[in-house]
This record gives sequence, C-alpha cells and structure tokens, in this order.
Amino acid sequence: MKVPKPHATAIAVTLALLAPEQRSMAQSASELETTVEAGALMTARDGVLPITGLAVAPGFRFASPRLTASGSAAAWMPGDRWQLGNAFTTVEAFTPTVHGFRAEVSANASRLVRDLTVQNDQLDAEGRLHYMRQRGGLWLGSGIARPLRVAAVSNVNVSSGGIWTKLGAATVRGTVTSFLFTKVANRTDSTLASSSSATLCPSHVSAAPQPDPVSTSPDVVGGSCRHTTRLTDVEGSVHWEHRLLEVTVRGGQRFGDRLDVTSESRQWASAQAAVWISSQLAAVAGGGREPAQPTRGLPARSYGSLGLMLAYWPIPRGTVPVETPATMVQAFSLRTAGPNVQRITARIGGVETVEVMGDFSDWQPLPLIRRGRDLWELLVPVGPGVHQINLRIDGSQWIAPPGMPTLRDGFNGEVGILVISAERLKN
Amino acid sequence: MSMTRRVMALLVLAFTARAVASAQSAEPATRDLDPLGRLTDASRYQIELILDSARVAGLPTAPLESKALEGISKRVDSRRIVVAVRMVFRSLRDARSVLGEHASPDELNAAASALRVGLTRAELAHLAQTRREKAITVPLVVLSDLITRGVPRDTASQTILQLWQRGAADDDFLGLWRGVERDIVSGTDPGVALLNRAREVPSRVPSTPEAGSRPEGTETRNP
Repeated sequence: MKVPKPHATAIAVTLALLAPEQRSMAQSASELETTVEAGALMTARDGVLPITGLAVAPGFRFASPRLTASGSAAAWMPGDRWQLGNAFTTVEAFTPTVHGFRAEVSANASRLVRDLTVQNDQLDAEGRLHYMRQRGGLWLGSGIARPLRVAAVSNVNVSSGGIWTKLGAATVRGTVTSFLFTKVANRTDSTLASSSSATLCPSHVSAAPQPDPVSTSPDVVGGSCRHTTRLTDVEGSVHWEHRLLEVTVRGGQRFGDRLDVTSESRQWASAQAAVWISSQLAAVAGGGREPAQPTRGLPARSYGSLGLMLAYWPIPRGTVPVETPATMVQAFSLRTAGPNVQRITARIGGVETVEVMGDFSDWQPLPLIRRGRDLWELLVPVGPGVHQINLRIDGSQWIAPPGMPTLRDGFNGEVGILVISAERLKN
Repeated sequence: MSMTRRVMALLVLAFTARAVASAQSAEPATRDLDPLGRLTDASRYQIELILDSARVAGLPTAPLESKALEGISKRVDSRRIVVAVRMVFRSLRDARSVLGEHASPDELNAAASALRVGLTRAELAHLAQTRREKAITVPLVVLSDLITRGVPRDTASQTILQLWQRGAADDDFLGLWRGVERDIVSGTDPGVALLNRAREVPSRVPSTPEAGSRPEGTETRNP
C-alpha cells in the first residue's frame, strides 16, 4: 500500500473576497453583526486532485457585556454541487473584571475541511482565568475537546496558558498549549492520522509489546494499538499596526515524542499582511506553514494566500444611542500637521462612525474619515492653548477621549482637556 | 380607496416628507446665523444677561458661549444649560478675584474649572502666589482631573502645590497625570497612586552646589 508523503501541501489562493457587513444595535450595550464572505478557492495536496471552486461563508456575531456568540459556515462548490466547508459556532460567557481578574467559559463546535478526503468535526469546552493590566495580561485555561470521525477514543485534555503585552503599536503574544489524548489504530492501517506518520502500530510493538519507559507507549490490544499521546505547542506571535498597514507574524515549536511529532510539525511559521488601499479596499497576502493537528487527524501543510478585500460599511440610520465604553478606543492621538492645524488619529475597531467636537469647532460635530479597517483621521483647526474635546462613536454618548485629563462638563458627562503649547506647534 | 385617491395620498405624503427634509436641512444655516437660536426664549434671555454681566466685569465671554453651545450640541434641556453657564460665570468671577487682572484666559478658565470641582479659593491663592512668572494652567488642569478621579481634594492640592513649588514643569505634571491614571485603572487607590507617582517627579528648583544636586535641566526625566 502506498503511504502518502507526510509532507502534504495545500495552496489556497483567494481571488476575491467580498465582505459586506451589516451591523445593528440589538439592544442597549449589545450589538449584532452579520458578514458574508465570498471568493474563489483552490487547494492542492500531494496525492489528491486539486480542487477549484466557489466559496460563500455567511457569519454572525452577537456581543453583550457578559456573553458573546458567533458562528460562520462556508459552502463550497468544487464541482456541480454544494458541500459544507469550514464552519464554527462559539458561545462565550464572562464574569465581571474584579481587580484585573476575569473568568471565562466557552463552548465551540467546528468543522475543518482541507479537501474532499480530509475533513473533521470537533466539540470543545474550555474555562479560562484572565489577569489583565492596561498594557498586558496573562491567562490560564483548561478544557476538553471531542474530535469526531478520527481515531481518538478518548476526549482530548487541553491545558493552556498565555501572556500578552503591548509594545508601542505592536501586540506580542506567547502561548503554551498541552494536549493529552489516546488513539486507537488498526495495525494494518498506516494511513490513519497522517500527522503521526503512520507510526501508531510500529512493527516492534506487534512482535512483543514491552513496557515503554517513555510516556507515549503504544499498547497492542487484539489487532489494534492504543497509544497515549502528549504534545506541547509553544507559539509566539506579533501583531503590528501602523497607519494603513497590518502585519501578523507567528511562529511555533512542538514538543513531544518522535512517535507523535513528525519532523514536518516540529516548527512552523506564517505571516499575513493587509494594506488598506482605500477606506473600503485592502490587499491581503500571507503564507507559511501550519503544523499537523493530530487530535483532528489533519496533516501539516504549507499555504499561501493573496486577495483583495472589499468592505462595505453602511451609514446607520436611526441608531439607538448606547453607552460607549471608552475602552473601545484602542488609540487616540493628536499631532501637529501645520500652523494651527492638528491631525486627530484614532484606532477604533468595529464601528461605523466616529466624530469629535470641541470649543475649536464651536461644538459642531466633525466626522472622522476612515483610513483603514480601524483607523480614523481628521485635520482640525486648533491653535495653542487649552481646549475641550469630546468623542462620539456610532452616535452614542459623547465621551472624553482617552489619554488626556478630563473634566465634568456640567451635563452629567465629561470632556477631555487638550493642552497645546506653542512649542508643540513649532515641533 | 380608489387608485386616484391612493396616488393623491402618496403625492401629499411625498411633498410633506420633502418639506420636512427641507426644514431640517435649513436648520444648520439658521443655527450658523444665530448659534443660541435653539434655546428657548426665556433661557436665551437669561444667558444674554449672564454674557452682559461678564462683559461688564471684564471677564472673557468665550467660555460662557462655549458652554452654551456645548449644551446645545449635547441636546441638553435649556434650563440646565442656563444653570451650567451661570456656574461657569460664577467660577470665572471667583477665579479672577484670586488670580487678578493679569491672568490669561486659559489660566482663568483652568482656575474656574478647579474651583468647580471643589478646590477652595485659599488653595488656589496659595498656588497662584508661588512662581508668579509661570502660568499655572497645566497644574490646575491636572489638579481638577485628579479630584474628579477620586483623589482626596486635600491630598491633590497639597501634592500639586509641593510639585509646583519644587519647580515642576508642564510636562512633569502631564507625565504625573499619565502615571496616576494608569495606576488607578490598575486598581490602585487614587490618593496612593498620586503620592507614589509624585515621588518620581524630580525637583527642578536650582539648589546650591553644597546640596550636591545637578544643574537645572539635567535631572533624570520621568519616563
């Protein structure tokens, strides 16, 4: 029997990705977002016929202060009939943050499809404890996963931990994830779990099963092997945003017995970049290597992607005013752009309108212009002196922008106090 | 209903909608001509009286008009706008009586804001009597914010006064504010956060060589 090369390669080229987005305020402090992605898809892997077809993926996300629910399901048409592609649905519940600590529980059902022959479904449940500071945090978690339609007879125990911090415009993350699970394989089935390189039933085991000093010891029961696997993934990533450019770089290392971790899955790295050409058009490119997912029976693969993203943000009509948490504003800054002119730059994700007003505009709202996915900009005439400024997101309450002193405005709100010195204007 | 009546009803509805839209689009133009035009007549009259009083007293009227426009833009009830404008007027008058005729509009406005959040006139006078050669605008802005964030008034005013006497610059005060804000967000008691951060602000008062301090301007800056 021909053993397929463990090094499987898949290349997906997205020719076009259309993402119209509808967002509506379901109720106060909650929101519902729906998306549709559409594109062309091509996958190729050694030993399998390449697939080219259309893909349509509707999705939704509902968020409230204590609960989020999201889901997406892709429909692929590789030939003359539609089939279910990648899909997921997730529900997460949070506790309030007390002294920086927050607990979270989540449940997830997902389906991964590499091609017509490599597919997997899985159920997950996990609990996490977060500790968050203003520019960083860490978390510990534990959970179980139940893969379906793969040779796992036990649930997968997953333990994980992570740390993240913000360094300037970059967010750096590090995670450690440990997997423990048992597989059963027929001794003659060498194609099973290609991630394990067909080594679940090594020949020396079948001759005389001996107690193995290492933890990953295959046992022969009848005509099949029971194999306990322990894997640990250490992964790091850097996400950097600068004006119209977004870059994400990831890299990882897998630790485990050589029976469980093939050489193709020892290390991996990938990168993705998006450049916003206009407020509604971005070029996206990426590529790299993904490790095998042995719990799901999915092999390692290399991939590349190239595409254009079209976004449509409708102007809300009659939006219900909701209280806007200042934490939505990831960054807010003013820089001198000329004599008595300041450039306001704000990074606020997932919103449709951003406005400022202040004494410099006679308290007339001035809409900021979207420059990228989350980037908003505006030039305002502001001379030296002390000024008052307010910020409004999606027509909600006026708030004081972060990063500057505030004052009560006398109307049950706050204003930001902007101090612009003459020296600053010269610089 | 006959077809003709339905068409007539639709036409009437369309013209009505267009008339409403025209009225709404004309509103900003009207407002440009008369910024206070959206106040009720009684409220507007009271605000005009306050503005006249300010002119007679030699106080700047810009902060008063600004407060009225702010209230209008935030769609606040006219009577509450009058209350807010009157409060600004009184605090400006008190601030001017403490700071004197030579205070700049920014200083006056910052002092008025500090008085509104609870700073006493005696504390303001104490600040104003020190380092008369420099504007106290930024210290007052930071002081007002700290009191608003929950730092006890005595602690805030004494700490700012001490830093002011030690020659702290505007950047020192703004750096202090950033540090305190971070600490408060992280869960530190506001008063404790201020005292801790204030210790990191270097003294900028020129001292004698015997004291062993470096020349002014060469101290390590607060990050």
